[in-house]
This record gives sequence, structure tokens and C-alpha cells, in this order.
Amino acid sequence: MDLSAVGAAAAEALTLASFIGIGGGVLLGYVVGVIPGLSRSVAISIAIPMTFYMSPYIAISFLIGLSKGTAAGSAVSAILLNAPGEASSAATALDGYPMAKAGKPKTALQIGLIASVIGDILATIILIFVAIPFARVALMFGPYEMAAILAFALVFIAGLSGGNIFKGLAAGGLGIFLGTIGLDNQTGLPRLTFGYTELMDGMPLIAVAIGTLALSEMFVQSEKLRYDRANMSVQLKNDPNDHVTMPILRRIMPTILRGTGVGTFVGALPGLGPSVGSFMSYGMAQRAAKDPSTFGKGEPKGIAASESADNAVIPAALIPLFGLGIPGNVSAALLIGAFAIHGITVGPLLLRDNPELLYSIFAGMILASIIMLALGWFGLMVFAQITKVPPHVVIPIVIFFCLAGMMLQGYGTFGLVILIAFAVLGYLMKKYDYSFVTFLVAFIITPMLELNLRQSIILSRGNWEILLNRPIALFFIACTALALVMLILRTVRTGKPAANAPAD
Amino acid sequence: MNRRALIAAAAAFGTLVAAPAALADEWRPTQPMTMVIGFAPGGSTDIQGRVLARTLEEYFGQPVNVVNQPGGGGAVALTRFLNAEPDGHTFMFGVMLGLTFSPIVSPVEYEIDDFRYAGTLVGGQFGVIAAGDAPYQSFEELIAYGKENPMTYAQQLPMDQAIMQRIAEQEGLDLAFVPTGGGGGVAPLLLGGEVDFAFSGGIHSQYVPTGDMNILAFFTRDRSPFYPDVPTLVELGYPYAMDDFRSFFLPGGTPDEIVQAFENAARFAVEHEPFVQVTVENTQHPIVFMDGAETEAAIREIRAANEALMAD
Amino acid sequence: MPRSDFWSGLVVAGFGLLALLWMIPNYAGSNPFAQMPPELVPNIAAWTMIVCGGIVALGGLVRMLRDGVSPVSAEVNWRAIGWALWPFVYVGVAIWVMTFVKLTWFGVFLIGGMLFLLGERRWYMILGCSVVPVVLLYVLSVYLMRVGVV
Repeated sequence: MDLSAVGAAAAEALTLASFIGIGGGVLLGYVVGVIPGLSRSVAISIAIPMTFYMSPYIAISFLIGLSKGTAAGSAVSAILLNAPGEASSAATALDGYPMAKAGKPKTALQIGLIASVIGDILATIILIFVAIPFARVALMFGPYEMAAILAFALVFIAGLSGGNIFKGLAAGGLGIFLGTIGLDNQTGLPRLTFGYTELMDGMPLIAVAIGTLALSEMFVQSEKLRYDRANMSVQLKNDPNDHVTMPILRRIMPTILRGTGVGTFVGALPGLGPSVGSFMSYGMAQRAAKDPSTFGKGEPKGIAASESADNAVIPAALIPLFGLGIPGNVSAALLIGAFAIHGITVGPLLLRDNPELLYSIFAGMILASIIMLALGWFGLMVFAQITKVPPHVVIPIVIFFCLAGMMLQGYGTFGLVILIAFAVLGYLMKKYDYSFVTFLVAFIITPMLELNLRQSIILSRGNWEILLNRPIALFFIACTALALVMLILRTVRTGKPAANAPAD
Repeated sequence: MNRRALIAAAAAFGTLVAAPAALADEWRPTQPMTMVIGFAPGGSTDIQGRVLARTLEEYFGQPVNVVNQPGGGGAVALTRFLNAEPDGHTFMFGVMLGLTFSPIVSPVEYEIDDFRYAGTLVGGQFGVIAAGDAPYQSFEELIAYGKENPMTYAQQLPMDQAIMQRIAEQEGLDLAFVPTGGGGGVAPLLLGGEVDFAFSGGIHSQYVPTGDMNILAFFTRDRSPFYPDVPTLVELGYPYAMDDFRSFFLPGGTPDEIVQAFENAARFAVEHEPFVQVTVENTQHPIVFMDGAETEAAIREIRAANEALMAD
Repeated sequence: MPRSDFWSGLVVAGFGLLALLWMIPNYAGSNPFAQMPPELVPNIAAWTMIVCGGIVALGGLVRMLRDGVSPVSAEVNWRAIGWALWPFVYVGVAIWVMTFVKLTWFGVFLIGGMLFLLGERRWYMILGCSVVPVVLLYVLSVYLMRVGVV
């Protein structure tokens, strides 16, 4: 690493203009992320025209700051309203909302923020110092390895569903089925699209996620209003104990570090995405805990695990982008366009031809994390006031923004129909204790798993011995088998399928 | 600001105002415009489209927003485009594949006649690529290698698979076809050494300069201006071609004056420095201008050729 | 809740059966090249739903028989069902209206109407809470995202 370039980069990172640009990006992302129904793509389409007027370095850091801001912001609505704006924050709501309802909304928000920022900074440091030279390691994860990892993720996360295991599996089956809708990736022939061209690209993930997570929750809450109006809202009592303390921090720190590791690993492999990362991390935290039954009831570790991984994915997705020119996920893919607008081709050539710019961007990313901590700390004081708004006021407004979000992202009437259909589905799942987490994860993973499995079968030409040369794939196949055995054991141990405690 | 910079700025300002002013009496948009792109962010169509949006803002004097509607090689975007208002404020920067190929293999709700075509800006660059360290550096060597060893080919469209299958049958290769599920999936497979060679819809521009990949042949009718030494499949003796151009599509029923305005906008864009630079230097696509009538004729011609290819 | 287990399990298994017998054979398509045919994964999913839904339903049935509960509830609480159902109808109608009128133009009535139905009677609350989000959306769509009124 060229030290003078690093010095110059640091100098550029600390100018006032960059401070304002990056801060603006984080703030914009944070605010958009907080509103359920508006997601990262709304924030990015607001931002891209603005980047025309910035220098390349500020423009890119602005966009990265924006991604970080939305990831942190969507945790706020997940914790306070149980209405996560994106699938990757769904795991945060599992413990964040119960904790907020138990009278500790500020603590929950602070844990989320701290986990976000630590995950973010550590993953950025890994990106800078370790990962780019080793980006080629990601190439060791071919179709065999990816298929094995995805199968592991699917089984592992299916095991998370609380309560009746068969209900969880049934929900997973539905997710897999709906995930197969779309064009066949080899022949380009439609599969299960029922003649609708709109379904060729599959059910739009944004509509599915907003429907099952945010909109359905509003229907659940509006029904509860009839019976339980007094106890519904999250109360912000000015409780002096409602803040994060050193013992809590010490307790969650290992979880944050593990979450960062999981998030970095998932982010560095192209295609997996933040939802897989946050759920994997959540599951691992639960498995590692001495008393797993506290999860889902307001366990601080649950929030920390999910948020640290969710945020670590964002910088980590830049590892294959800068090292190999392969975007790790959709946000990273959008950055390619932003680079191109400034006449820069992102990829291995960038490090060779334009190292100063790359170092400036790294410095900007660290700066963005620090700004996020400051803004988030201040912001959560403001956003915690949401809890003072009674739920019957929140519900119509959130519904309005869910509808508006679909229109803003150009999905049209078709997207709205999908949205309400999945809101009905999500409502029924919540009411009858079918795990919507398993459903959503199966829906997200299935297309990737099927493609990689198909590639593996074709590449191996049906010869299983090829796997013997693939230790990583074998390792994950063993993990999958282990997870499967544990799943079955748990089913057998709980005895009669329906005889256990109510879920979640 | 010194004097020379002032003059340069004034000159730049002059050209900015002059170009649109020359066509003052033609149709003008009255509100922000939407540019539909039928592919996901990050691909070459998207990159060119986002810069083109900025060029058009300069030309039309209204903001131009990019909306990505990926799926089915542009078929999803075209289907939604059927319902667009023909008032010129919604248009598509599209590849022709959704019209020249998708209707042949899958039932779609639109036809070539449902849209209007206002001009072509960019030519496609479909090629055959292999890893830089592969034991073959040309298409002939690839075939020779394939006659001795079983090979794998990463396909992207049913069309390139059909062509490659015919070549494999003709040459007696043992070839397996690996689906990639889109442009982004090819790079990891090829760089990781999982497949022997692959289809490139344009990603080679990033990897050929670093030596990570090699381009062996082009599917297009003409040689690429960027790789004048690389032959086309037709030149190699295989009578198959796969051409594509990126053009402005407008909803059917759009008045002639609006189509004319977009044709002029295309003329403006292919000379506009930022757009040309990104297209040529960043994504390595040639600038190809065709007017509306030529564009429509090209679409019909390529469609007929594709139908003939897929028929047997 | 053995009764809800029974019925929900039955619905899931029924959907799986529908998928297996009608959707997949008619709409899954075919792929002569593939070593992994396109109907394979949907079939696995359908079987998962049938088996797991069946087990859930069976579990519910067994417990109902043991406790002597009838599978159909004697008294149906129509008011409760109505209360649970109306928000869906409300949003469904709103989506239908959105095919004619832009959301921004009737958003005030959408939010205000629902606030009223949820029991808010203070006029200033209804006015403020319905106007502010709509104005926000207008600013967002017209000035920030510049996609025009949605």
C-alpha cells in the first residue's frame, strides 16, 4: 500500500465538502430507512441525480453512506413498530419489538445502532486491509460450494422457527414453491407464471417483503386495537434505566463480533445478500446461547446478531466488486452505475489505475460509519418519540407509505395486488403461528439454490466423486446434514407435533 | 477563475444552449420524463442508460429518471410498456432481444407492431470468452481442444445455446451447457475455472484488458471495432449470427412529432461527449446510429433471421 | 388451538395438492436439456406442504377427538370477523381506486377515513395526520425522486 496515497486520501476524506456529502447520504438513507414501505432503492433513486454534481470520491462515499444509513434506519421501524422495511431487518424485529414493548425501546435502539456501527467499521477494515488482495478466495466458492452453503442456510434457518416444527416446514414449502415462479434460467421458458408476463422475473421481492412484514403487521395491530387498545403501544416511560449499559455491552460483544464475521463472509460471496446474513447470524447466536428460549422475547443478543451482520454485508459486498469487478449484491451493482457516470470502470483495474480514489473511498466509508453513530444516537432520541404516537394513528400512515412505496418504485397495479395478497398471507401466518421467517428465507434462497444446484449437476456430469476434491463443499454438506439431524431430533424430542408451547 | 477557463466555460455554455435551440419548434416535454430499462442495475445497458438520461436532460431540458424493470431479457419491461401513455414522457432505452427473440420462445403479450422506434444509439457486442490462462487462445484452438476433451459452456440466452449446440454437433464436441441466470453470473464461473468458455453480453470489456479473460470470437455479423483481430463466427465458417442494438422505444400510437424529437435526441446523444465516452471507453460498445425507420427494419430483419435459426 | 391447527393444516395440504395435481403439470413447462427438470423443485415444495400440512391437521384432529371438540365452532363471532376483515377490504378498495386516481390525490381521504374508522374523532388529529404524509409523498415524488405525482 502506497503511504503517500493513503495520506492524500485521508486528507481528501476530511474536507468539509466530503463531510457534508457523506453526512447527507447517511441522513437521507436513515430517514428513508425508518419509513416502512420505502426501501433502499427509493433512497438510491433520490440520490443518483445528486451525485452528478459531486466529485467521484464524494459521490461514491455518499452512496455507500446512504446504503449504511438505510440498513441502520430500517432497524428503527423494526424495533418500534414491528414493521421492518426490508427483509434483512426482519430478524431484528424478532427481539427488538418485544424488548421495546417490555419498556426498553431506547435500549433496543441503542443496541441496534451500536451493533450496526461496529459491524460496519470492522467489515470496512477487513475490506481495506485483508480482503482485496484475497478477493480471489471468493472464486473458490463455485457452484458446488454455493449450493452447499445455500442448502445449509435453508435448513439452518428453518430450524429457527419457534413452536410447531411442521408448521415451520409447511411455511418453508410454500416459500420454496412461490420462489420457483419465473423464467426457467436455462431455456427462458416461463414456469408457473400462469401466462402473466409480469411474473417472468418472479414475484417482486420488495412487494413480498413489505407485504408479509410491514403491511400484514398493520392488519394484525388494527385487529388487536379492538381488544387490547390500552396495552398496545410501546410506552416510552422516561425510565432512567432505559439505556444500554456496560454489562449489556460486554454480554453482546461476542455476538456482535460473530455477526460481523458471518456478515462479512456472506457479503463477500456474490449473490447471497444481507437477509441471508442477518438470519444466519441470528440463528448462530441462538444456537450459541446458554438459554436459547430467551430469543424471540427481547434478547439483546438477538438484536445485536441481526444488526451487526446486516450492516457488515454492505462493506463486504464491495470486496468482490473492487477485487474482481463482481458486485456482491444489488446495492453494490448500483454503485457500478454510479462509478460509470463519473467515467470510472470499477473492478480490478481501479486499484491499478486509480489507487488514490480507492483509498479516499475507504476513508470516506470509515467517516460514514462514524457519522452514522453520531446521527443515529441523536436520531434515536427523535425517533423514540414515535412511540408516543398511538397505534391507531400509526397504522393508516404506515399503510399509506406501503402503498406509496410500491408506486414510487414503479411496480404499478400489479405490484399492489401482490402486496395485498402477501399481506393477507402474512396476516394468516402470524395468526395461525406459521413461521413467516422460514417462509421469507425459503422464498429468497430457493432461486439461488436451484441455479447453483443445477450448475453443479451439469458441471459434474453426474459424477459425485468430484465432490471429493471440494473440501469446502463437503464441509457445508456435512453442516447441512448435521442441521437436518438436529432438526429431526428436535421434532422427535418435542414429541407430538402440536403439543408444544405457543410460538414466538 | 482565469481568463482561459472563462472562455472555455462560455464556449461550453454556448454549445449547451445552441444544440437544443436549433430545433426550437420541435416537440418538447413539459414534465419530468421516465426512461425504462429492461435490465437490472450494474449491467452495460443500465450504465449507458444512466449516462444517456443525463444527456437527454440537457437536450430536452427536463429531468429524466431511470426505472429498472428487469426480467425475461426485456420482456417484462416491454409488457408493462404496453400500458404507457403515448405522450413522450415515458420511453424505453431497450435492447432488441425482447422483440427479436423472446416472442419466438415464450408467449408474450406484445408484438413488434405495438411500439414505435425512434432511433438506435449503440451496437451490441455478443462474444465468446474464455479465461486468460486457458490452454486455447483462439476459437480454432478451442475447437481443437474440445475434440480431445469434454467441455462446458456457460450460456446466458437460449439463443446462444442454440448456436453453440449446432457448432458442437458440427464439430463433434462433447459440450455441456451451464445456465448462469444472467450476465453477472458468468464472471465468477469463468474466473474460478468452473467452465471452459462462456457467452459474454459485454462483460468482457472489464476483464480482457487485465488479461483475466480472452475474447475468442464474436456472435455479431461484423467484427468489433475494439478487437479488429477477433473473427466472427460467420468468418470462421459457422453460418450463425446474433445481432442486437440499443434503441429508443416509444409506446404505440405516439405522434410522429414526438418520434421525430427522439430521433433528433438520439442524433444529439451519439455526438455528446459523456455518453460517447462511457459507451466506448467504459463499456466498450460501439456507437451505432440508425434513424427510426432503419431501426424498425433492423428489428424485423433480425427477428426473421432468429426465427429461421430457431425453427430447425 | 386444535381447531385452527386442523383447518389451517388442511388448507396448506390442500394448496399443496392443488399445486401438485393442477398447477405444476399445467404450468411448470419442460426443459429437455436439463438434468434437473423445472418441475422438480416445485414438486418437492408441494410434497413438503402436503406432508407437513397433513401432519399439522392430523395433530389437530387427534386432539379434537381426544378432547371431544367439534371441528366447527358453534357460535361464530361475526363482529370479530368483520373487525378483522374490514382493513383488508379498505386497502383492497384503495388499490382499486388507485387504478383511476393517483394516490397523492386521494391519500388524505385514505388516511383520514381509516383514522376515523379506527376511532379517532379529534378533527385536528385527523387533518394533521392525513395531510402531512401526503405532502411528504408529494415532495418525495415530485421534487426528490422527480418521477412526477404517483
